[in-house]
Amino acid sequence: MKNMQTSGSIVVIAEHFEGEIRPITYELVHFAETLQQFSPAPIKILVLDERAETLAKSLARTTGKDVLGLRAPQLAQYNGQVYTSILHEILRDHPPLYVCIGHSSRGSDYAPGLAMRLKAACITGVSALSVQEDMICFSRDVYGGKINADMVSNTETTVLTVQPGSYGPAPDRDLPKGNVCLKSMTVSPQTSTTLSTTPFQTSDLDFSAARVIVSAGRGIGEEENLELIRDLASVIPQSVVCGSRPVIDLGWLTYDRQIGVTGATVTPDLYLACGISGAAQHVSGMKGSGFIVAINTDPMAAIFNLSDICIVEDLKTFIPVLLEALSNKR
Amino acid sequence: MKILVCVKQVPESEAVVSIDKDAGWVDVHDTSVFRMNHFDECAVEAAVQIKEAFPGTTIHIISVGPERSEVVIRRAIGMGADHGTHMVTPGDGFVDPSTLAGWIASLSEASDADLILCGAMSEDLMQGQVGPLMAEYLSLPCATAVVQMTIMPVGEGVHVEREIEGGYREAVALQLPALLTIQTGINQPRYPSLSKLLRANKLKLNTLYVDAMEDSAPLQGVRRVTLPRKLREGVFLEGSASQKAEQLLTILSDRSFLTVL
Ligand SMILES: Cc1cc2nc3c(=O)[nH]c(=O)nc-3n(C[C@H](O)[C@H](O)[C@H](O)COP(=O)(O)OP(=O)(O)OC[C@H]3O[C@@H](n4cnc5c(N)ncnc54)[C@H](O)[C@@H]3O)c2cc1C
Repeated sequence: MKNMQTSGSIVVIAEHFEGEIRPITYELVHFAETLQQFSPAPIKILVLDERAETLAKSLARTTGKDVLGLRAPQLAQYNGQVYTSILHEILRDHPPLYVCIGHSSRGSDYAPGLAMRLKAACITGVSALSVQEDMICFSRDVYGGKINADMVSNTETTVLTVQPGSYGPAPDRDLPKGNVCLKSMTVSPQTSTTLSTTPFQTSDLDFSAARVIVSAGRGIGEEENLELIRDLASVIPQSVVCGSRPVIDLGWLTYDRQIGVTGATVTPDLYLACGISGAAQHVSGMKGSGFIVAINTDPMAAIFNLSDICIVEDLKTFIPVLLEALSNKR
Repeated sequence: MKILVCVKQVPESEAVVSIDKDAGWVDVHDTSVFRMNHFDECAVEAAVQIKEAFPGTTIHIISVGPERSEVVIRRAIGMGADHGTHMVTPGDGFVDPSTLAGWIASLSEASDADLILCGAMSEDLMQGQVGPLMAEYLSLPCATAVVQMTIMPVGEGVHVEREIEGGYREAVALQLPALLTIQTGINQPRYPSLSKLLRANKLKLNTLYVDAMEDSAPLQGVRRVTLPRKLREGVFLEGSASQKAEQLLTILSDRSFLTVL
C-alpha cells in the first residue's frame, strides 16, 4: 500500500464507461507525462468502480503506471457526490501536486467541488502546458477560443481538467506493467443518487460515406437561411448538412447532425464551417477533417485558427454569390 | 419554492476582443454588444417554467459584473423573475472562480434557496466552475449539464437528466435544496414581456459592491494572455465577394471536391 501513497505525485483519475476505459484516460496519462517533465513526480492512476480490479489491471498493463483501484457498491454508476467524497478521503492526507481529470461531462461535474474540498485551485479545460519564469502555466481558451489565457496555480495541490483531444494517447513503449492496489471504500448516504444511464438518441446517419460536411452555426441567424446551406450542399457531391449545437438546440436540425463533444466526431475530407465561431466543444468534433474552409463575418473567429481557407464574409450574401459563380461555370 | 438563478452578461461571440498588455487581461471593445449568457437564459427560463407550474414560487436573480451588466438582471425579471441583486465589480478583470462562488454563496438568497440554477458555463470564461463551487460552499447536491428536470412531489426533491457524451443521458435524483447547472437545448428561452420589462426597469435592485483586488489569496491567477496558436495555414482569401468565390471554387475543384468546367 505504501507505494500507492499519493503525496507529492501527479494523480490521474481514469474515466471509464460500460466497462471500457475511455480514450481521455490515455490522453490524461500523456498530459501527466508532459507535466512530469516540468515537475518531476511519480504518476499514479486512480480508478473508481464497483469492482475496479479488471480496469485497474488493464490500466497498469497498458500504461505501465501504478494504479489504485477504489471500489464501492455505490460506484456501479457515476455519481458526483460519491466520486468527490471517495477522492477527498484518499487524497486529503496525502496531497498530490496535481490531480488530472478529463474535461468531460463527468470530469467537469466533480472536479471543482473536489478541488474546493482539497483547498486546491481548479483550472478547467486545459489544452497546453508551458513554463514561464519558473512557473508552470496551464493554457485554456477564453472568449470562445479567440484568446488563450495562461493560468497559474497558487495552491499546494492543483486540480486540472484537460480538454479532450489536446493530447494524443501516450506513445507506445515497452513498459513493465505497473503495480495494482485495490481498496474498498465506504461511502455515507448521499443527497444525490444516480438512477440510470441510458442512450437518449442514436444516430442512423452514416458519416463514413460523406466526403464533405457543410456545417451551419448560429451565424445563419434564421432557420430559413438553412436553405442556403442546403443549396450549397446540393452542388457538392457526397456531402451532408450538419451543424453546431445552437442550431440543433433551436430544432433547426436533428440531434444526429450535431458535431462536437456532445454530438458526433467526424473526419470528412472537407468541412465547410458556415457561421460557426469555433468553440472548443465544437472543434473537438471536427478538427480531424482533411481540409477545413470557414466562412465567418468575424476575422478573429477561433475557427480560422484551424482552417485551411478563411473567408471573412457574410454567409447570407456570400453563399448566393458562390452558387451563382458555380452555375456560370457549369 | 425559492429559486435563485445566477446570470452573467457576456459579449456576443462576434465582439472585438484584444489583449490589454497593461492589465494582463482581455479588452472587449466598447462598441461590442453585450447580452445574457445563453446558458443562463435557459436557466432563467427553467425557473420561470417552475414558477408557472408551482404558484407561490419566487425567483431571485443574481449577477456579478460591472455596472453595465445590470440590464441582464432586468431582462431576467422581464422574463418572469421577481427580484434581483447586482454585485457590482469595478471592471471586467479575471476573478478567481472560488472567490466569485464564495461571494454569491454568502448571500441570504443563496442559503435560503430551495433550488439554485446556473448556466453550464459562461461563454466568455468557459470555466464551468461557479455552479459546482457554490454547491460545495453550501453543501448542496449538484448536477451539471442538465437537459431535463422534474420537480417531484414535496419531499422527493428534483429528478434531472444530465447530458453526457455519446448521446447518453444520466438520470439523477437530488434532494432539495440543490444546485443545477443548465445546458442549452433544455428549453427555448422566452422573450421578456413588455409589461414585465416595464416593471423590471422600475424595480429597485439590491446593489452590493465587491472587489476582487481585495482578495488577498486567490487560488489561481492569469499569468498572461496571448492570441491562440494557428493549427493550420489559414489562408485568408482577398478581394471582393465574387473574387473570393472564384478562388474558393478553384481551390475546391483542384482538390476535386467539385467539378467545374
Ligand atoms: C458541456 C458542453 C457541451 C457542448 N457540446 C457542443 C457540441 O457538441 N457541439 C457544439 O457545436 N457546441 C457544443 N457546445 C457549445 C459550444 O460551447 C458553443 O457555444 C457552440 O459551439 C457555439 O456555436 P456557434 O459557433 O454556432 O455559435 P456562436 O458561438 O454564437 O458563433 C456564431 C458565429 O457566427 C458568425 N456569424 C454571425 N453572423 C454571420 C453571418 N451572417 N455570416 C457569417 N458568419 C456569421 C459569428 O461571427 C460567430 O463567430 C457545448 C457546450 C458545453 C458547455
